[in-house]
Amino acid sequence: MKKIDKERLLLGIAAPVLAIVVAFLVTALVLAATGKEPFSAFGIMFDYGMKSDSQVYILNKATTYYLAGLAVAVGFRMNLFNIGVDGQYRLAAFFAAAVGGALTLPGALQIPLIILTAMIVGAMWAGIAGVLKVTRGVSEVVSTIMLNAIATAIIGYLLQQGRLGHLDEAGTKISTTPLPESSHFFEFPTTPSPVWGFIVVAVVAGMAYWFTLSRTRFGFDLRTVGQSGSAAEASGVDVKKMVVTSMLISGAVAGLVGMPTLLNDSYEYSGDFPIGIGFTGIAIALLGRNHPIGIALGALLWGFLERGTGKLEFEGYDKEIVGVIQGVIVLCVVIAYEVVRRYGLKRQQSKVGAELAAQAARNSDQQEVSA
Amino acid sequence: MRRVSKITAACAVTAALALTATACGESSTESSGSDKGKMKIGMAYDVGGRGDNSFNDSAARGLDKAKSEFSAETKELTAKNGETPADREQRLESLAEGGYNPVIAVGFAYKDAVDKIAAKYPKVSFGLVDSVATAKNVDSIVFTEEQGSYLAGVAAALKSKDGQVGFIGGVDLPLIKKFAAGFQQGVLDTKPKAKVQIQYLSTGSDLSGFGSPDKGKEAAKGMLDKGADVIFAAAGGSGAGSIEAVAGKKGAWSIGVDSDQALDPALSKYKDTIMTSVVKNVDTGVFDLVKSVKDGKPVTGTQAYSLAKGGVSLTTTGDHLKDIQAQLDAAKKKIVDGSITVKTTT
Amino acid sequence: MELRGITKRFPGVVANHDIDITVRRGTVHALVGENGAGKSTLMKILYGMQKPDEGTIAVDGEQVSFHNPGDAIDRGIGMVHQHFMLADYLTVLENVVLGSEKLHGIGDRARAKIKEISDAYGLGVRPDAMVEDLGVADRQRVEILKVLYRGARTLILDEPTAVLVPQEVDALFDNLRELKAEGLTVIFISHKLGEVLSVADEITVIRRGTTVGTADPKRTTTKQLAELMVGSELPSPETRESTVTDIPMLTVEGLRLTATDPDGVVRSVLDGIGFTIHKGEVLGIAGVEGNGQSELVDAIMGMRHLDTGVLTLDGVDISRTPTRKRREDGMAVIPEDRHRHGLLLEAPLWENRILGHVTERPNSKGAFLDLKAARADTERIVREYDVRTPGIEVTAASLSGGNQQKLIVGREMSHDPKLLIAAHPTRGVDVGAQAQIWDQIREARREGLAVLLISADLDELIGLSDTLRVMYRGRLVADADPATITPEELGSAMTGAATGHLEAPDETPEPDDSGAESTDTDPRNGGEDR
Repeated sequence: MKKIDKERLLLGIAAPVLAIVVAFLVTALVLAATGKEPFSAFGIMFDYGMKSDSQVYILNKATTYYLAGLAVAVGFRMNLFNIGVDGQYRLAAFFAAAVGGALTLPGALQIPLIILTAMIVGAMWAGIAGVLKVTRGVSEVVSTIMLNAIATAIIGYLLQQGRLGHLDEAGTKISTTPLPESSHFFEFPTTPSPVWGFIVVAVVAGMAYWFTLSRTRFGFDLRTVGQSGSAAEASGVDVKKMVVTSMLISGAVAGLVGMPTLLNDSYEYSGDFPIGIGFTGIAIALLGRNHPIGIALGALLWGFLERGTGKLEFEGYDKEIVGVIQGVIVLCVVIAYEVVRRYGLKRQQSKVGAELAAQAARNSDQQEVSA
Repeated sequence: MRRVSKITAACAVTAALALTATACGESSTESSGSDKGKMKIGMAYDVGGRGDNSFNDSAARGLDKAKSEFSAETKELTAKNGETPADREQRLESLAEGGYNPVIAVGFAYKDAVDKIAAKYPKVSFGLVDSVATAKNVDSIVFTEEQGSYLAGVAAALKSKDGQVGFIGGVDLPLIKKFAAGFQQGVLDTKPKAKVQIQYLSTGSDLSGFGSPDKGKEAAKGMLDKGADVIFAAAGGSGAGSIEAVAGKKGAWSIGVDSDQALDPALSKYKDTIMTSVVKNVDTGVFDLVKSVKDGKPVTGTQAYSLAKGGVSLTTTGDHLKDIQAQLDAAKKKIVDGSITVKTTT
Repeated sequence: MELRGITKRFPGVVANHDIDITVRRGTVHALVGENGAGKSTLMKILYGMQKPDEGTIAVDGEQVSFHNPGDAIDRGIGMVHQHFMLADYLTVLENVVLGSEKLHGIGDRARAKIKEISDAYGLGVRPDAMVEDLGVADRQRVEILKVLYRGARTLILDEPTAVLVPQEVDALFDNLRELKAEGLTVIFISHKLGEVLSVADEITVIRRGTTVGTADPKRTTTKQLAELMVGSELPSPETRESTVTDIPMLTVEGLRLTATDPDGVVRSVLDGIGFTIHKGEVLGIAGVEGNGQSELVDAIMGMRHLDTGVLTLDGVDISRTPTRKRREDGMAVIPEDRHRHGLLLEAPLWENRILGHVTERPNSKGAFLDLKAARADTERIVREYDVRTPGIEVTAASLSGGNQQKLIVGREMSHDPKLLIAAHPTRGVDVGAQAQIWDQIREARREGLAVLLISADLDELIGLSDTLRVMYRGRLVADADPATITPEELGSAMTGAATGHLEAPDETPEPDDSGAESTDTDPRNGGEDR
């Protein structure tokens, strides 16, 4: 049995590796087509990506991406496509920033309060889509896309002078009241720049995700619904309740996505708060096969690619190339997983068949002998 | 329980990686040196970058001028969507570390990054367009958009038959609101009974209002239907749609923004209906900074490129303003001498 | 047609090896064997859907090699599948010409040709009827016509009687005799020996993937044939001594369930169902599929909300109890469609063992799973219920149907059930597993469980049940004593022709009664009422 286990692991790793190799080959072709030497580009990326400040950058970036990947993965495990992580984290970060800016409690109280606010806002926003799905049959894909747009509008409305926004002295940048010093999250004092302390929260979230899904009854029910809604229903899972619950969880995790930036970097929500990370999360969850470690690797890879291409642009390559690599990776991953999944299933079936046939042959031989 | 150990191992590796980051080789910024002699100008654009037909391009014009004049070497980097402050810091830092001086950041989004990196590289001169930095070695290049818009408002009020004019803003950012405020004040000061319709194409972090000519066209059509006959669009790329819509209505005028849109090859066929454009001479600001660095006396502090200094102005391509030039000059004089203060918020 | 030394190594099922069959022109040749013996694989080889690893196929003395079904059709070989491949929303004509537009066009020429074939073989097919309006038997005739239309001279029918009631089977056999009379060849696959003996001219028996002999239907009994087929004594579903008590375990009263059609018509799928199953009793429900059996199971499991009615399990009203609680309280289910309702196909066996019982020991303690105990218990089930698998980490999908079913039975019997719902428990299961499952059901009954058995296999129903009910259009229209009833009598009740107590033929009420009763539950009538 160990053998099949090991093989499964191997197959599990084969898909992303295959995808990344193919993606790099395609990118090399694209680079070559633009008249640039592809391999020196990769060389630059790797060299640069391995520098100590790049490592810090990648870890910090990956913290955010990891949380986004987790938020999406919770939905994926349920067969729910939460495209709304993007709107959820932005709305959550906005309200968390507003709450954080309005209060000056001791950090030990205020930081958890900010994080909690974010999780609740994210959960509520995602919950709307969940409730709409179970009561009105609205596809969560459609409703979350719409909710993204609504979140943008709500933030746009509230982030104005006289509401929750403050104009800087140049009159060009509008943001929430900056968090007090006490609400800044701790950092690891690495040089040349610090690693954000929120990475710890991300790791804890990953472990909680893993534990909940694979070790609890709730997680089992959730996975069951994801694998077969009909079997889940027959097994006694309240599928509707599960849809709402998992959307709430997905949204709560989405609420965390903006926190590394808010608590470790910007300390305020302004018009230039990062957008679109929810979509990055989808790619990363796909890349990581919804597995907590896979997602971590995906997030690190994403951070690495972004770091590396910053350098590529500096070296005169087109900055669009990173978009090409990322897009191709996602595409390759989806294809590679399906190919490997089918191959693995077929292979296992034939193996089981072969083992049983051998067993049967032995039995029938014996029978014939005894007869 | 094999899995548990796997997880634990992975966590340990992650933690180790995080904490030993310092130990893993040299920093990228330690290896590169700067060669003296040739002037190196670093430019960090906002999203859109060179070729946005708007203020990034205007900054690029200043850069190009400086490049040819001082035969400088240039490096241009551009922001992406979805960036964090850390990305912007990294961009500025790589330029500063690469020996580029001055380093010019285009767009208010760079404010915090400039403050941080400028403090780290006190010997490098930084430029920041559209916002005010606190660090000492920074030239904050700001423009009095509202003053230019005021003049546009005066012109609109004078050219409009019944005082119905419109303002289309790309996104309801404070910066764009300055345009709206100045325009509105200019119109109302000139024709108190006039009516200004104000509309923004998108809101908050949704920046699509700067790049959707279709939205601009729709908005302009709506305003024209309601009786407006002069429309000022401060909406980046969306302005083209507005100009097109206005050109379709007889007797209506449009006002462009940022660069002289009557000279824009794509819009030149509508030039007979483009009354003027409110231009923000970012190129002047950029060039001034580069020149001062070249001369060894880098400009620092806040440089307000006002109407008085020619930082903002109205274009006269097509001579559509000839008949009202006197009134415009009078208004300009009042702003310059301070007898009119233009508001920055509506 | 001759097949010589056909061997096919195929993962998961018994491989074909050294198959030798000779089919003479103008005969009905039956191919019998238990489920999983390799009949379907052989047919796929014959029809070009799979290539044999070894061996030769000769048609009319000429050696052939089929690469795809097209090659087989070119050689005049056509296949009527067990599961019909017809488009519901097209007419018969459109279904027949689909993919063969070049033969006779798609218009009147095709219609004339269809009429001609239909008349020639007495198929009675109406070219312009919508397929969705046709019954199962009519659809089957359309499938046969489709094959003939494409010029087939040899027809392969894969388990054609599985979906038919006895009367329809007779009609089908008349059609087959017509075909034979016109010089066509029919290869008839079945494991229903009575049918085979009545229609076939020659019989080839397949066991464990190889041909073990031929039989002459005129001189063979079903018992001999069955022993040839199974290779040993035939397992029988017969239940011996009665264990029925008078303690009611499950009571169903006045159960009514309605469903809304896609076109908005509300029709009742279950209407006034009432019965009681006592401890130690097996209640069998017969009926042509689609008459409300699935809905009945769903209702008892709690997957559908009742419109009216009361369910009582062991004295407790469970009408509004959620499914999970019902299962915790001792409801075991062998679902009709195990792939959709009973298994997580891509999950390992031990996770499938947890499925449906996640809240119960040994699967979990409190809110947490107890993987160790669940794995250990899976090992136990695999051992005790003879699930043939190399281990518990393989996915459920890699097991054969019989072994999947044994796992499900083992799982469901591991939680001290009070009631066992067994819907088609031996469908798609090989004979060995079938016998084991029957044993398990008998064992359950002996232990005092109430068993609700729903099946399309009338022998299984009659053999296992203590009480029989017939379901027709959402109602229980008849009851029968399994000790005295014959499959034919049961079959006629299943078509709605007989109602009431079926013990003696003269007690059968007027057929008019049932006709009148059923009008309000007839979906087609409902449509016309609008």
